[in-house]
Amino acid sequence: MTALLEQIVNGAMMGAIYVLVALGMVLIFGVMEILNFAHGVLFMAGGYLCDVFVLHLTGSYPLAVILTMVTLAIIGVALERGVFRRLRVNVPMQIVASLGLILMAENGAVLLFGPSALQLTVPSVHSLVRVGELSFTVQHFIIIGAAVASIAALQLFLRRTRLGAALRATSQNPEAARVIGIDSDRVYRLTFAVASALAGLGGALLGPLFLISPQMGDLPLLKGLTAIVLGGMGSIPGAIVGGFAIGIIEAVSTLFITTDYRDMVVFAVLIAILLVRPWGLFGIRVRGDA
Amino acid sequence: MPDILEVDGVSKSFGGVRAVDGASFRIKAPGIYGLIGPNGAGKTTLFDMICGRQFADAGSICLAGVRIDRLRVHQRARLGVARTFQECRVLEEESCLDNVLFAAQDKHLGTEMIQTFDRRDGPRHAVTEEAERLLDLVNLRPLVAEAAGTLSYGQRRLLEIICSLIAKPRLLLLDEPASGINPTLLNVLRDFLLRIFAERRLVLIIVEHNMEFIMSLASHILVMHQGRVLEEGPPAAIQASRRVIDAYLG
Amino acid sequence: MRVRAGTARLAIGALFAAALYLVPVAFAGSPYVLFTLTLTLCYAIPAMGLNLLLGYTGLVSLGHMGFAGVGAYVTALLMKHGLASFVPSILAGTLAAGLVGVLTGVPCLRLRSHYFIIVTLAVGMMLFLLFNNLDWLTGGAAGLPGVPRPRPLDLGFAVVDPRRPAGFYLLAATAFLLVFVIQYALVHSDFGRSLAAIRQDETLAASRGVDVFAHKLTIFAVSAAIAGLGGGVQVLFLRAAAPQSFGFLEDVNVVLIVIVGGSGSLFGPCLGALLFVALPEALRVADAFRMVLFGAALVALALFAPRGLWGLAATVARKLRADRSVVARAGHS
Repeated sequence: MTALLEQIVNGAMMGAIYVLVALGMVLIFGVMEILNFAHGVLFMAGGYLCDVFVLHLTGSYPLAVILTMVTLAIIGVALERGVFRRLRVNVPMQIVASLGLILMAENGAVLLFGPSALQLTVPSVHSLVRVGELSFTVQHFIIIGAAVASIAALQLFLRRTRLGAALRATSQNPEAARVIGIDSDRVYRLTFAVASALAGLGGALLGPLFLISPQMGDLPLLKGLTAIVLGGMGSIPGAIVGGFAIGIIEAVSTLFITTDYRDMVVFAVLIAILLVRPWGLFGIRVRGDA
Repeated sequence: MPDILEVDGVSKSFGGVRAVDGASFRIKAPGIYGLIGPNGAGKTTLFDMICGRQFADAGSICLAGVRIDRLRVHQRARLGVARTFQECRVLEEESCLDNVLFAAQDKHLGTEMIQTFDRRDGPRHAVTEEAERLLDLVNLRPLVAEAAGTLSYGQRRLLEIICSLIAKPRLLLLDEPASGINPTLLNVLRDFLLRIFAERRLVLIIVEHNMEFIMSLASHILVMHQGRVLEEGPPAAIQASRRVIDAYLG
Repeated sequence: MRVRAGTARLAIGALFAAALYLVPVAFAGSPYVLFTLTLTLCYAIPAMGLNLLLGYTGLVSLGHMGFAGVGAYVTALLMKHGLASFVPSILAGTLAAGLVGVLTGVPCLRLRSHYFIIVTLAVGMMLFLLFNNLDWLTGGAAGLPGVPRPRPLDLGFAVVDPRRPAGFYLLAATAFLLVFVIQYALVHSDFGRSLAAIRQDETLAASRGVDVFAHKLTIFAVSAAIAGLGGGVQVLFLRAAAPQSFGFLEDVNVVLIVIVGGSGSLFGPCLGALLFVALPEALRVADAFRMVLFGAALVALALFAPRGLWGLAATVARKLRADRSVVARAGHS
């Protein structure tokens, strides 16, 4: 029983990370119909930038996290303007560009920081919280809290601000949105900025807990992808439910099978959803789906 | 003799909106038929259901006595149901001639696989003549080798119609063929359709908003309103009908 | 006019084949070149298979090397345990891969483009994880070493010994040409025209009588089988089967080979394979700096050469021809 509880909390924590990645991916897909395979390296960049900011700029971890988010937002805008805007309709080339960006980013990280993983020491990872017999780091709960806070902030933004409304309008009907005067370029930039900031937040939060390495974004990318497929490709609630679900399913499954096969569980879930209910839990069934 | 086309009590809803609500009509003889009605009357949805792009929620559709409403698009196409699209679809990268030749190609998978290894081009040669004749009738002959994507809008419409004719369908559905066409080209189109009808004696059903065009072309008009067939009859009667006028104005 | 074009193509084809077979003679003194070219052929085969799917039919498969792995492991197991000789082993590998392709395709091809891409990624990953974890069958992470080369073949006028580099090259070249001819025949046929129609406009293709699903399934199976053949040849060449050869990085690699080389053209994948193998740094343990440059090149390619390198070359050639004719006409005015 306690083992189960332990895995559920672990799962919620990893799920929170997946939610941060998935939210970004679902925003980009919902608004721009782009599957951003390079999202994992944005996550990774968040981890490294946070490390740099803590060690070389400000000793404060929270401040570094905020700076990381801002920097990633700027990087996201640059990516949108420089690369992805022109590839909106060309899916194979989106993939090529994403792969190119992955190669550049992962190898760039190796050049700048070396191939071995970095360890970032922050107080919240060393303080423990005891729940009954179990103990978790404070970071576990910070991560979950950060995800919840991000979700709330995003909802507020989308529903209570004009920019948020513009984003929603563009995702539902780009032509109509343009007709009523919404600047779609601005919306796209904003989407990438928010999505990248969320990914960077994820990397900055996970980095201290595990390790910061060039490949640290690869699996979160695939898990985030699974989450948005599970939740429904254009659905924000879907990304949230999907992210937590994947995290918890993954963690709980380690009680029954070896960690070698843990990744297979996630892929099996992905394949199963796509075959049985491709529009996911909250997606809309569109003419053309089985 | 079974009716050529029998549509009986056909309905279709999209998330609560009843696009087609128990539409019924019969077509007993070859002819040019017009399908008109105010926006939202369900005309294109009805077309979609006849050719298989949508499945009807209720009702039946029979082609020469055979029920086709559960068949898929390509199966109905092979039975002789052809259509053009409101948004005008052609294979952009292929030349005009290749567009037509492809439309005429026997598309059974087995036949195609055999053709891969038995490379006789005989059938293609035979069709080329007919293809070029048809393209000539609408002044597209000079553009035979040009990619379809480079054609003007009106030219693409004509190409699309020729492609749907080349496989000698029994039933041809044209979805707003006259929209966006200038008056000169409209005459070419009208003459072409009359000529094709004279040669082939098929059933031509045309959805149109251009009243002058459709009234001068069709021998029989069907009027749809709110998902049903409101009235049908010869053009003169329809144009004088009170109910039809009310439907458009109301 | 028509006959002459066909004969010209046949002549070019024959020259190409002859050049291919003369390579061992030309490079007799450079075993490294022979090795690189043989490896190129091993990569070109699955790439040509993927090209049929991606370039001609418009289906992006991100897990294609999984099928190559199926072919590789089946061939390797049969050869290693002496259960079959070379040709039946390779054939079995090809058919097994094709079968897995059918099993994958039936449920997955109904999905729309984005979903299809994701599910092929997942299937490829699953296959890799199976290769990597089913120790009792596949040898797990260590793979299957000690796969024997085929025995020498007596052709009458010569003996081809695949245990030697030149001999195996000829075997690989023959497999390559076989696949090339199949690719050519499929593309230039009614079937190929239906595939092209599906790529350009599925709805239109269906309304003209094309059974879109059946066509997609057929080409998916053929494409998987070809990948399986490539996997079998590769495993015999390297004398070992290893799961890393069929993992995510390799899935990515083969997609890049096809797209960068020029999808939708017959020679594109060959050019891509040559590029990606003849730059060996780009494949294996690579200098990080060169990889950054390579990544930048890919992004540049995506932005400025949407039809791949072969397409770029074709565009440039067309422009040069157009310029020349303009000049010629100007000269006549």
